[in-house]
Amino acid sequence: MDVITNLMGGFATCLTPYNLWMAVLGAFLGTMVGILPGLGPSATMAIILPITFGMDATPAMIMLCALYYGAMYGGSTTSILVNVPGEASSVVTAIEGHQLARQGKAGTALGLSAIGSFFAGIMGTIGLAFTASTLAEFSLKFGPAEMFSLVLMGMFTIIYVGGKDVTKSLMSMAIGLGLGTVGTDIVQGKERFTYGISELLDGIDFVILVMGTFGISEVLESAEEFMKIVPMKVKFWDLFPSWKDTWYCRWAILRGTCVGFFICCVPGSGPTIASFLSYGVEKSVSKYPERFGTGVMEGVAGPESSNNAAVSGAMVPMFALGIPGSGATAVLLGGLILYGLKPGPMLFVENADFVWAVMASMFIGNCILIVMNLPLVPVFASLLRIPYGLIYPAILIICIVGAYAVATGLFEVGMMLIFAICGYFMKKGDVPAAPMLMALLMGPMMERSLYQALNLSHGSMLVFIQRPISATLLSIIVLMSLYVGIRSLRGKKAAIEEAEE
Amino acid sequence: MRKADRIYGVIGLGLALWCYLESSRLDYMTEFTPGPGFMPFWVGVVLAVLSFYLIIDSFVRKSGKKDETKLLPEKHALYRVSAIMGMLFAVTFSMKFLGFPLTLALFTTAILLLLEHYSVLKSVGYGIAYSAVTWFVFEYVLSMGFPKGFLGI
Repeated sequence: MDVITNLMGGFATCLTPYNLWMAVLGAFLGTMVGILPGLGPSATMAIILPITFGMDATPAMIMLCALYYGAMYGGSTTSILVNVPGEASSVVTAIEGHQLARQGKAGTALGLSAIGSFFAGIMGTIGLAFTASTLAEFSLKFGPAEMFSLVLMGMFTIIYVGGKDVTKSLMSMAIGLGLGTVGTDIVQGKERFTYGISELLDGIDFVILVMGTFGISEVLESAEEFMKIVPMKVKFWDLFPSWKDTWYCRWAILRGTCVGFFICCVPGSGPTIASFLSYGVEKSVSKYPERFGTGVMEGVAGPESSNNAAVSGAMVPMFALGIPGSGATAVLLGGLILYGLKPGPMLFVENADFVWAVMASMFIGNCILIVMNLPLVPVFASLLRIPYGLIYPAILIICIVGAYAVATGLFEVGMMLIFAICGYFMKKGDVPAAPMLMALLMGPMMERSLYQALNLSHGSMLVFIQRPISATLLSIIVLMSLYVGIRSLRGKKAAIEEAEE
Repeated sequence: MRKADRIYGVIGLGLALWCYLESSRLDYMTEFTPGPGFMPFWVGVVLAVLSFYLIIDSFVRKSGKKDETKLLPEKHALYRVSAIMGMLFAVTFSMKFLGFPLTLALFTTAILLLLEHYSVLKSVGYGIAYSAVTWFVFEYVLSMGFPKGFLGI
């Protein structure tokens, strides 16, 4: 009952004209980002983050969250109408969705994806409210030793679950930890890696790194080629699926919602993994799996529901534990820190109004998005006619303004450009940037917890295995590492044997 | 990708050495707790081990599909990316002298004219429009304090 009372309080906070306007703005920007290929939600949130510096935490976070789940709605439009996914989690939607569009059922596909996304968004938010508050209550028992183990486990989970190449993901994480040590050290106040540059004394700003490696590098990759997109035209009245089709897909929507939410409660598995998993589930439970790939409605409804529920799922560890589950939630977590809030279990105690207002806004945001993504789809689809060549200079200008706003200096702009080059080549070499970003965010927290835990135990490392929660978390890391190590060795052995044959 | 992995491995080893050198001039431990050199030292060790593994693996692994991917893009794409980056660096260096609106107008015009092949008139038009909107929102409304150039704006 507490959750419902708190949620009602959250509605009271977020139902002000300004907060509602922020939800509408976020939903609009998210839908646009989802529709336009070449810029994902993480990059857009990173670019917009510095512009929200002067705002209060609640409206700023309402806007950023709406942008995140709005992108999940919008992504399906481009996948279905053009066969070009607007963002990564809509890749799988293109497989069935575009086939349906070619059969003259674009409206059915768009409608099913919007209805599935709406249902998943609402159910996911209910799940988030109940799970995050329970988990946060439990994690209030955590001391420095538990926090250290938890941060470490969060980082390893992100790498093992989400990373394509474990070695490169680990390298990315190590570099992020290294970047996190730049600045004044917390123990003795000594300078590390600063070389007399005063701008580095406070460390490397998260916004600079995220705008460079996510924002500009993504623009550079998209700007490599001239992009020309011609979307299919859809009539207004064709946008609504029949009641029969919607009822037919009810189980797919429900399955997608459950898969997306629960999978993404685990750090590392973002909406992309959830949508692929949901597609796999739909194929395996289908009576006619051979038809998949030719335009099957469940293949659109399931994954689209899944990627929306995944957004709420990924926010569970972020709100409850202060651990980002994906690149996008890392940006949101960075936002929390920038707005002066302390992410982690204490957020529910010290800033309860804020947390519940953001959660309540997600119900409202989903209602706004269903309106934007059903009757307004033709309007948004027409945005695809704007040449990308006109869009990316504007994005780059906003990046420059954002980096300048961090410390009102051009040094930060230069640093962002250097990170952009690094990010671009990291993308080219399949080195994921997300672990680096998360390590930069969580590295100082990890170092502080290690320092506090060892101080309390008079330097004894045994504190990490003597405390049951910490020991359990460390055991999970060891088990995960063993599993990944053995799997990798087996893979290599099989490859060598194959080569010898 | 094999070649790329070797390059990343060497860069990783360089970064590891850098971390080690930085940690060596700082205290590794204080009385009970890790000192300022603790974290850079272990970051260096982890990076060195991973980089070494990446290099070794690039020599011993069987050539797969991912090894066909190239680190550098095609020539024309590389030209576009380099040009954009060059212009962005030029913006950073010239903003102090030219001022915020003029730099952004020149930047947009240059991108549209040289890379997107718009006509001179359209490029200049878009350049002025983008710059004016950005200046109005961020300087006039939000007073962000961007550098003023020789024109005084």
